[in-house]
Amino acid sequence: MARPVLLNNVEHKALRVITTRTAALGDDVMSAIIVPDEFRSVQACYPIVFQKQTDTGQFLPLALFGFESGENLFLTESGWDAHYVPLSIERLPFLIGGPRTAAQASPPQLVVHVDLDSPRISWTEGEPVFLEYGGTTEFLKRAGALLHMLHAGLEATPAFIDALLGLDLLESFVADIELKDGSHNRLAGFYTVNEERVRALDGTAVASLHARGFLEPLYMVVASTVHFRDLIDRRNRRL
Amino acid sequence: MSSQVKRVVIVGGGSAGWLTAGLIAADHRSAQGQGLEVTLVESPAVGPIGVGEGTWPSMRDTLRRIGVSETDFIRECDAAFKQGSKFVGWSSGEAEHYYHPFSLPQGYTEANLVTAWLHRHAATPYAELVSFQPQLCERGRAPKQVTTPEFAAVANYAYHLDAGKFGQFLQRHCTARLGVRHVVDHVARIEPADNGDIAALVTAAQGRIAGDLFIDCTGFASLLLGQHYGVPLLSAQPLLFNDTALAVQVPYAAADAPIASNTISTARPAGWIWDIGLQTRRGVGYVYSSAHTSDSEAETILREYVAAGANPKDAASLAPRKLSFRPGYRQKLWERNCVAVGLAAGFVEPLEASALALVEFSAAMISDQLPATRASMDIVAARFNDAFLYRWERAVEFLKLHYLLSARTDTPYWREHRAGASVPPRLAELLALWRQQPPSRYDFFRIEEIFPSASYHYVLYGMGFRPEPAAFPERPDNSALAERYFGEAAALAKSMLAGLPAHRTLLNHLQSYRLQRI
Repeated sequence: MARPVLLNNVEHKALRVITTRTAALGDDVMSAIIVPDEFRSVQACYPIVFQKQTDTGQFLPLALFGFESGENLFLTESGWDAHYVPLSIERLPFLIGGPRTAAQASPPQLVVHVDLDSPRISWTEGEPVFLEYGGTTEFLKRAGALLHMLHAGLEATPAFIDALLGLDLLESFVADIELKDGSHNRLAGFYTVNEERVRALDGTAVASLHARGFLEPLYMVVASTVHFRDLIDRRNRRL
Repeated sequence: MSSQVKRVVIVGGGSAGWLTAGLIAADHRSAQGQGLEVTLVESPAVGPIGVGEGTWPSMRDTLRRIGVSETDFIRECDAAFKQGSKFVGWSSGEAEHYYHPFSLPQGYTEANLVTAWLHRHAATPYAELVSFQPQLCERGRAPKQVTTPEFAAVANYAYHLDAGKFGQFLQRHCTARLGVRHVVDHVARIEPADNGDIAALVTAAQGRIAGDLFIDCTGFASLLLGQHYGVPLLSAQPLLFNDTALAVQVPYAAADAPIASNTISTARPAGWIWDIGLQTRRGVGYVYSSAHTSDSEAETILREYVAAGANPKDAASLAPRKLSFRPGYRQKLWERNCVAVGLAAGFVEPLEASALALVEFSAAMISDQLPATRASMDIVAARFNDAFLYRWERAVEFLKLHYLLSARTDTPYWREHRAGASVPPRLAELLALWRQQPPSRYDFFRIEEIFPSASYHYVLYGMGFRPEPAAFPERPDNSALAERYFGEAAALAKSMLAGLPAHRTLLNHLQSYRLQRI
C-alpha cells in the first residue's frame, strides 16, 4: 500500500528516485489515467479510451498500453519504448496531498508528498531530490510541475466527460483481437468516442465544444485509435 | 364533425395519472407542438392515496420510455431496489419462508427443472436451487454495481418507492419536459356529447376542458367510468377477502441499518403484513379482511410486528392510517371515449404489487393503440377490455393461489380461503393439471401475461405444492442439462455475492454520484 508523507528537505535530504522503467518498479501496467491537456502527446503513442472507475462509477480517460491486466507492451529490456509517458506515471513516486477519497475529493493544499513505499525510493541510487544544502533539484522542480499539471487536469476532466456524455458521444466497445498464432483475445469494459456522432454534430454543438477547449482533445481521442494496430503488432512480436 | 383524436384529457394526478400522461406525451411528442395535446386535470382537494409502493421490473422500461434519469428517480422518490418478494409464514404459519424472485430460473426454457429438482434435490427450496437471486436478497445485496448503466441490471430488479413523491417527480418531468398541460381545478360536472361520449369536463374555476379521449385516473372515486357511466364494480371479495389496511411509516433502527432489497410479506391470522424498504424509512402495513378481524385486533398485530424490528420509542409513537377498499375491478375498463387506469379501474390487495404494473400495461396499450379517429376507438376499446379483463382475472387468480395452497388451519380466514365456493373453477382445473405437469406456456399463452408461468412455479413449489411423483418421469437427456443449470445458478450466486455492493451502500453512493446512461 502507498505510504504518502509530506516531502521535506530534512528527513528526505538524501532521498533519491530511481527513474528507470521496469516491471519491478511498477511499470507493468495495462493503462494509465490521463488528462485532456496531455491528449495531444498521448495520441502520438497510445490509444485513448475511457473507463468507469470502480469506486465511483464515473468515467476517466486512459492511455492503453496492453490488452490484459499487468501487460505493458511498451515496456522493453531497454526501458519504456515511446516518446511520451503520461503524467500520472511520470510523476511517481510523488503525489499531491494525501490519498484521494470520495469524501475529500481534492486536498485543501497543493503540497508535494512522496510515497515512501514506492519501489522507486532509494537512498543510494537514482536522481537526487534535494541539493546538498537543502535546495530543490531540477528533478524535483520538474516533478512538482508535472504534479500541478496532473492536478489541474484531473479537476478539469469531469467537465470534459460531461460534455461528451451530454452529446451522447461515448459508447462501449468490445474488441476481439486475433493474434498471428490464431489465439483470440477480447478487450472489454472500455468506452470510446463514436466517430459518426462526432461527425454529425451540428454547428452549435461544435462551437460550444470549441469555446470550452474540448474540441481539440475530442479529435485527439478519435486520432488515437489508429494505435490499436500498433498494440496488436507489439503483442504479435512477443509471441 | 372532426373525429380525429387530438386531445387527451386525464383526470387525476396520482401516480396512475402522471404515468399515463408521461407515456402518452413521450410517445406522441406532445412537447413538439404538432403532436397530441395532453392535459391533466387534478383537483386541489383530493390528495393522492399512498399505496402501491412496490413495482415490477417493467417500471424500468416505463421510466426509460418516459425519458427520466434513473439517478434522479432514485434520489427524488426515496426509491430503493426490489428483487422480488419473500413470503413468510404462508404455508404453515410458522416462520418458514420462500422467495418469488424477479429473475427467471436459469435454463427455464431449456430444461425441465421441476422434474430434476423433484428427483434429486427435493430437500432444497425450489427458488434457491434454480435462481441465484434468493441469496442476493438474503444477504441484502444491491442488484447492480456503481458502474452498471442506468436501468441496466446485474440481477433483474424493480423498485420500492414513495408513491407521493413519485407522483410529484413525474409531474415535474411531464410539465417541464413533455409538454403536458397541468390544470389544478375541481371537476364540477361532465358535459356529455349527443352520441353519449364525454364532450368536456367543466371545472369550477377554469371552465370547460374539451377532449377526444378522457382517461379516468380519479382513484376509488372512479369519477368518469364508475360515476358518470355507471359501469359497475365486479367484486373480487368472494375470492380475496381483504378489504382494509392499516399502514405505518417506520424509521430505520439505525442510520446504517441494512435495507431489504425485496418486499417481505408475512402471513398473519386474518391477512398479511407488507414490509417495504425505502431509503429513509420502511413502509409497513397489515392488510386484512374486516369480516374476519376487528380494527383493534389488527392494530395489535401490526404493532407486534413493528416492535420486533424498530426502536421501541419509534414503534410506540406510530399512528397507523386506515384504508378501506372494495376489492374488484370494473366490468368494462373502456366505455365510449373514456378509459379508466389505476384504482379507478380496480384494486385488489397489494400482494405481488400488481397495481402500478397494471397502470403501466394500461398506459402502454392506450399509447400504442391510440386510435387516430373516433371511428376506430370502439374497436380499440373492445380489445382493451378483452385484454384487461383477462389480466384482472389472471391477477386475482394468481393472488388467490397464495391462499389456496396454504396449509394454515389456525383461523377461519385461512380455512375459508380454501373452501370450494371461493375457488375459481379455472384455477381449480389448473391445479389438478399441475399435479401432473409443471405450469407452462400452454397455460399462459397470451403475449405479456401479467404473471408468467415461472411465477407460478415459484409460488406453487415455494408454498409446498408437490406434484404426483409418478407423473413426473425424467427423460434421460434432461438430468445432465438441468444439473448444469443448477450449477450455473450456484456459480452466479457466488460471483454476484462477491461483486455486488450492499443495498444501502449503493443507495448512499447514488446520493453523491450519478449512474451513467451507458
